[in-house]
Amino acid sequence: MNRYLANVNGWTIGAILIIILLFIPNVSIVTGIFSSASENWAHIKEYMLVNYIKSSLTLVFFTAMFTVVIGLSLAWLIAQYDFPLRSFMKWALILPLSIPPFIGAYTYHGIVNYTGVIQKTLRNQFEIVPNPSFFDIMNVPGAIFIYTLFLYPYVYMITRIFLSHQSASLIESARTLGKGPWEIFLKVVIPISRVSIIGGVSLVVLEVLNDYGVVKYFGIQTFSTAIFQTWFGLGDLDSSIKLAASLMGIVIFILIIERILRGGKQYSYSTTKVRPLPLVKLKGKSAVFATMYTLVIFSIAFLVPVIQLMDWVILTFGKVPMGEVLVYTRNSVTVAALSATLIIVFSLIVGNFSRIVHHKFAKLLPKLTILGYSIPGAVIAVAVVTTFIALDRFLAPVYEFIGIDSGLVLSVSLFMLISAYIIRFFAIGYNSIESGFDKIGTDFRDASRMLGVSRLRTFFKIDVPMMKGAIISGFVLVFVDILKEIPLTLILRPFNYDTLATKAFQYASDEKIMEASQASLLIVGVSAIAIIIFHKLLREEPK
Amino acid sequence: MFIDIQDLSFTYSNSLTKAVNCISFTIEKGEVISILGRSGSGKSTILRLIAGLEMPDEGSFTLNGKKIMDDRTFIQPEKRGIGMVFQDYALFPHMNVEENILFGLSKMSRKDKKRRVNEVLELVELEGFEKRYPHQLSGGQQQRVALARAIAPEPELILLDEPFSNLDADLQVKIREDLRRILKKANTTAVFVTHNINDAHALADRILKIKDGKIDKIGRPCDLLGSTSELPNTGEVIFEELLPV
Repeated sequence: MNRYLANVNGWTIGAILIIILLFIPNVSIVTGIFSSASENWAHIKEYMLVNYIKSSLTLVFFTAMFTVVIGLSLAWLIAQYDFPLRSFMKWALILPLSIPPFIGAYTYHGIVNYTGVIQKTLRNQFEIVPNPSFFDIMNVPGAIFIYTLFLYPYVYMITRIFLSHQSASLIESARTLGKGPWEIFLKVVIPISRVSIIGGVSLVVLEVLNDYGVVKYFGIQTFSTAIFQTWFGLGDLDSSIKLAASLMGIVIFILIIERILRGGKQYSYSTTKVRPLPLVKLKGKSAVFATMYTLVIFSIAFLVPVIQLMDWVILTFGKVPMGEVLVYTRNSVTVAALSATLIIVFSLIVGNFSRIVHHKFAKLLPKLTILGYSIPGAVIAVAVVTTFIALDRFLAPVYEFIGIDSGLVLSVSLFMLISAYIIRFFAIGYNSIESGFDKIGTDFRDASRMLGVSRLRTFFKIDVPMMKGAIISGFVLVFVDILKEIPLTLILRPFNYDTLATKAFQYASDEKIMEASQASLLIVGVSAIAIIIFHKLLREEPK
Repeated sequence: MFIDIQDLSFTYSNSLTKAVNCISFTIEKGEVISILGRSGSGKSTILRLIAGLEMPDEGSFTLNGKKIMDDRTFIQPEKRGIGMVFQDYALFPHMNVEENILFGLSKMSRKDKKRRVNEVLELVELEGFEKRYPHQLSGGQQQRVALARAIAPEPELILLDEPFSNLDADLQVKIREDLRRILKKANTTAVFVTHNINDAHALADRILKIKDGKIDKIGRPCDLLGSTSELPNTGEVIFEELLPV
C-alpha cells in the first residue's frame, strides 16, 4: 500500500484547502510585481522610494535597539533577582502591550502638547514658558519613543520566560566558577538568550513595519502610509501592490537575517526538565534601583497614558452617548471573537494535519501561512477586496435567482472583514496551537488509537482537552490583536460598521483626542484583562 | 501459528538506510517474546509497525488468521485489536485511573465496563485507586495502570515498549515478576522491547536479538543468554554491557 496515499484523509484535504485560501493574497502581491508599471510608479520609484526605505528602516533599527536594551534588562532583573514589587512587576511590565501604539501616540501627544498637562503645569504653576518645539513628538524620534514604550514587552516576555525556565544550571555554574553579576550577564545571559531576543525583536520589527496608526497620526512617510496614499489618494492599486511587494522584500530579508542570526549557534539542552532559576535577594541601594527602574518603565509605558485616558473620559463624560459606545463595543467583541474562534478551529485542523501526516510538505506548508503576518494590513485588504469582488461577479446568477437585486453581496459583508482578519492573524493562533501539539507529543494520540478509538474521537477526547491551555492562549492573543487592529478594519468594514479601534482612530485623526478616550480606554481595559488572564493563569513559572 | 510476520521492512522519511530490514518471525498464542537490542537498532520501530503506528515499505502481518497488512491491506491501529503499553505510559492526564481504563471499553454495557475495570485493577493489584489521577501515582503504579488499560479491552496481542526503563532498579525486579504473572494469568500474547538483558531473561519465553534492523538471533533465553545464575544480579544490566558474554 502506498505510504503517501495512506496520508490522504479528511484532515489533509481540510488543511490543504485552508492553506491555499490563506496563501492567495501572497500570490496576488507577487504577481503584482510583474504587472505593467504606471506613471505614478515611475514617480514613486524616482523620488519617494528611497525616503520610504530610509524612514522605515530608521524606525525599525532604533526601535529594535531600544526594545532590546529595555526588554532584556527587565527580563534579567525579574528572572534573576528578588526586590520590592518584583512579583507585581513580573506581569505588570507586560501590560503596555494592551495599549495599541496609535492610542499611545495620541495620548502622549495630548500630554506634551501646548494644552497638555506638562506645558500647562509649567506655565500655570511655575510660570515657565518652554519652547514648544522641545515637546514636539510628532516626528521620527517621537515615533521610535512610542514604539519602544509599547512594543518592548515582546522582548521582555519571551526572554524572561526563557531565562526563568531554561537557564538555571548555566547561571548557577557560572556563579560557582566565581563570576559576578555583570560578567554573568554579559558572558552567559546575553549569548544564551540570543534566540529568544531575536524572536522577540522580530515581532517588534514586524509590528513597526505593519503599523499604520502611529505614522499616519505623526505624519511620517513610511511604506504603510505610502501604500494607503497611493491606493486611496492616487487611486493606483497596482503601484500600491508594488510598494507592498517592496515592503515584503524587506520583511523577507529581515526574516532571512533572523534565521542566519539564530541558525548556527542554537543552544540546546541535554535535559527537557524545567527547573526555575532561584532568585537572588537584592538589598539596600541595588533593591531601590531595581524597584525604581521597573517602576519608571511601567509608569511611562502604562500608568501615565492610562491615567491620562481616564482623566479625559471623566472630562468628556456624556459628550459621547453611551448607547453609541455600547454599539462599538458589541461590534468589536463580536467580530474579534468570531474571527479568533475560526482561526483556532483552522489552526487545529492544519496543526493536526502537520502532526499526523509523515511527509516533509506537511511540515513545510503550514509555515507558508506565517507570511500572512508579515504582510501589512493595507495590502491584505487590497487582495481580499479584489478576491471578493471577483467572487461576487461569479455568484451574480445565484444572487439573481434568489432575488437579490444588488450585484455586491459578499464584498460589502462582514464576512470579507473576517476573512481578512483570518489571513492576517492566522500565524498568531497557529503558533500557539503548534506549540501545544509539540508539547503533548504523539504518544497520547497513539495510545488512544491503540485502545481502538478513531482519529476523530481521539482528537476531541484526548488532543483538545490536553491542549486547553494552548487553545485559550491562542484565542486570547488573536482576540486582543483584532481588537486593536486598524488598517484592515478601516478599509474592509461594512458601511456604518464602527469598532472601538476605528472610532478611536477617527476621533484622534479629527483632533478630538478627548472624545477618543472612551473607546481607547475600553480597548486597553479589555486587552489588559486578556493579557493578565493569559500570563497570570497560563504562563506561570514552573512549580 | 498465531502471529506471522514476513519480510517486514521500513525506512524513515528522513533517512536513506532501512531502520527495519526484511524481518520475519512467528509467535504462538500465549507466548511472551522479547525484542532485545541496542538503542537505534530498530527494535521500537518493529513494535510501532506491528501496532500500525508506522506504515512499512513492504512485508505482511497476519494475526490469528486475519490479514492485518500486506501490499494491498493496511488495517488502521484502532481496528487491529492490539494493545500497547508506552515507554512513558501515556496515561491521559485529564482522566482518572477508572476513566483511563474505561476509555478503551466502548462496545460494552455500563455494568460490564464497571466489572471489567474492577477485574483488571484486581489483576494489577490496584483496587481502590479508581479515582486517582496519573500525577497522584508512583512510577510503578502508573506502569500497572497502563498495563491494566491495555489489557482491559482483551486484545489478541499486547505490545510493551521498554516497560521498565522509567522505574528505579529495585522496583524493576518486583514489577518484572508482577508483569510475567499478570501476562500469564491473562493468557495474553505479548511482545516487549528492551535493551536490558535481565528483563528479557526474566520475562520472555523467546528472545529476538536485533542488530542494525535485522534479526541477529532467535531462541529461548537460556540458549541465547545462558542461565540466570550467569547474569549479574542487578536491576539494570544493559545489552551493550553483556553483548560479548
